[in-house]
Amino acid sequence: MASAAPTSVLVVDDELAITRALIAAFEARGYAVTAVGTGREALERIAGTPPAVVVLDLGLPDVDGIEVCRRVRAWSNVPIVVLTAEGAEHRKVAALDEGADDYVTKPFSMPELLARVRVALRHRRPGGPGLDESVLDVGDLRVDVAQRQVTVAGQPVELTPKEFGFLAALARYPGRVLTHRMILQMVWGPEYGEETQYLRVYAGQLRKKLRDDPAAPRLVTEPGVGYRLVDPREEPSPTA
Amino acid sequence: MRVRAFASGPAPWAGLGLGAGLTVVVTAALVPLRSDVTQATPALVLVVPVVVAAVIGGRPAALVVAVLAAGAFNVAFIPPYWNPRVGVVDDEVALAVFLAVAVTTGTLVAQSAERRQAAEQRAEEIQGLHDRYEVVVLERERLAEEANRVAVLEQVDEQRSALLRSVSHDLRTPLASIRAVTSDLRAGAIYDDATRNELLDLVGDEAQRLDRIVANLLSLSRIEAGALQPDRQAVAVDELLAERVRRLAPLFRQVRVQVDVPDGLPLVDADYTQLDQVVTNLLENAARHSPPRSTIRVSAITSDGLVEISVADEGIGVARFDRERIFEPFRRGEGSASSGVGLAICKAIVEAHGGTIDVAPNPGSGARFRFTIPTRRG
Repeated sequence: MASAAPTSVLVVDDELAITRALIAAFEARGYAVTAVGTGREALERIAGTPPAVVVLDLGLPDVDGIEVCRRVRAWSNVPIVVLTAEGAEHRKVAALDEGADDYVTKPFSMPELLARVRVALRHRRPGGPGLDESVLDVGDLRVDVAQRQVTVAGQPVELTPKEFGFLAALARYPGRVLTHRMILQMVWGPEYGEETQYLRVYAGQLRKKLRDDPAAPRLVTEPGVGYRLVDPREEPSPTA
Repeated sequence: MRVRAFASGPAPWAGLGLGAGLTVVVTAALVPLRSDVTQATPALVLVVPVVVAAVIGGRPAALVVAVLAAGAFNVAFIPPYWNPRVGVVDDEVALAVFLAVAVTTGTLVAQSAERRQAAEQRAEEIQGLHDRYEVVVLERERLAEEANRVAVLEQVDEQRSALLRSVSHDLRTPLASIRAVTSDLRAGAIYDDATRNELLDLVGDEAQRLDRIVANLLSLSRIEAGALQPDRQAVAVDELLAERVRRLAPLFRQVRVQVDVPDGLPLVDADYTQLDQVVTNLLENAARHSPPRSTIRVSAITSDGLVEISVADEGIGVARFDRERIFEPFRRGEGSASSGVGLAICKAIVEAHGGTIDVAPNPGSGARFRFTIPTRRG
């Protein structure tokens, strides 16, 4: 960590073993870690001594993790990365809809979780997300919002207006998952939300035009949840 | 043509025809005898056609025949004969009485016949309704049976999915820790020796936990298949308890375990592996519900050919309401991270050995699980 004060992480999980592993991993990277086992303690802690980022297990013994997200979002902007069980896509979408920044599916790889936490921290930093920037860079992909131009490694790529909108929406939040609903409402309009088949078609066209490597794509599908745009060279290997 | 006005349907016609015919026949038969009998005889006999018409043809037919019979009585048996005129007042009275009696009799008989017919019809209708009702009842019984079978199947199905859900949750929890630590080490995280050893211990502990879950699943499948046959042998409870507490040491990093077994405890007659599993599940359960720095007390006593083993913790205890249900499969205690099959397996194993298991409040705080196992004889 470059900053003088260590970045504080609040780990919320009732499983002792995974909590110990998370504490060790975060501390080894210079974070200051606090761990609690219930949603109630988590809410108290976030209100009392707000951490820089929260790692929240959705399966808590008292308050449901999604409910914790909702309550925190009523008064706090702290980045939240949730841990969820596999095969619970609706829970992931619900957590994201309630304001979680990202999720990692258990069993997860530690480098993957750490990468998600870094992305979440970057987006919540003041001036971090490129909401007002007119040129967005994700690796060698450049999206020039003002000129409506896209280049890959300096080579221009021709996109239709919807393809451009889709890509620009994701490029504003590099590394972060956006749900189908979020993308549809940003690009198609507020009356959209269920038309995920549009997104599949446009994602396919975008990958073709961006010449995505299927093994390490820029445009990553999160099945049943949404999409994220990543720099494949920065992404931790999923087998790690 | 006048009589047709009364008729409606075949039975009135038949009654009318028969009544009229009989009136003619009776009159013809009695005319030769009229000097030998009083007027009462033809009067009485002429009521018969009216009754017949009433029974067969109903009230309209009876009324018509009554008038015909009165006419026949008048012209054939009241002087002057073959003339509608009536000579004396007595005969006028007799004719009027005859008509009244014939009409009344015909009406009464016809009414009773109608009532009988209506009653028969109602009886038929009731029988029809009854038959239909029986069909409905049978159908309903069949449907109820069907619904019952479906409900049972659904319950079994629900239990199976509950088992699958909890098993996958149980298996994934230690897997998540193992994957997190190994992926972390693989990515080259720099740890001091103490932390590194702690993490490697954690992986080892979680692998053992997986092993215990798999052991429980195997027992569960044996219980379900009805193949939980204890392979009985002489087991020294003190040795089993000491060995199991030692092996589960990773579970007891934050609590103290106190084992209290008297000298000279008799051997029990049990399947070592199964008995070990009961003790393991109870200890794991106690560890899970023990607050840090509390004590888990394990003890054994003997009486009446049984050894009673108990495991007591200082946790939140078991609500009275849950003391029976906790031994049913998939009953998790509040906030419990286990699948809830462990205690159900304990109960099945203890009962297969001819023992009993229950839970009571631990004096002070927490829960005290007790089970009995028969001692070895001879």
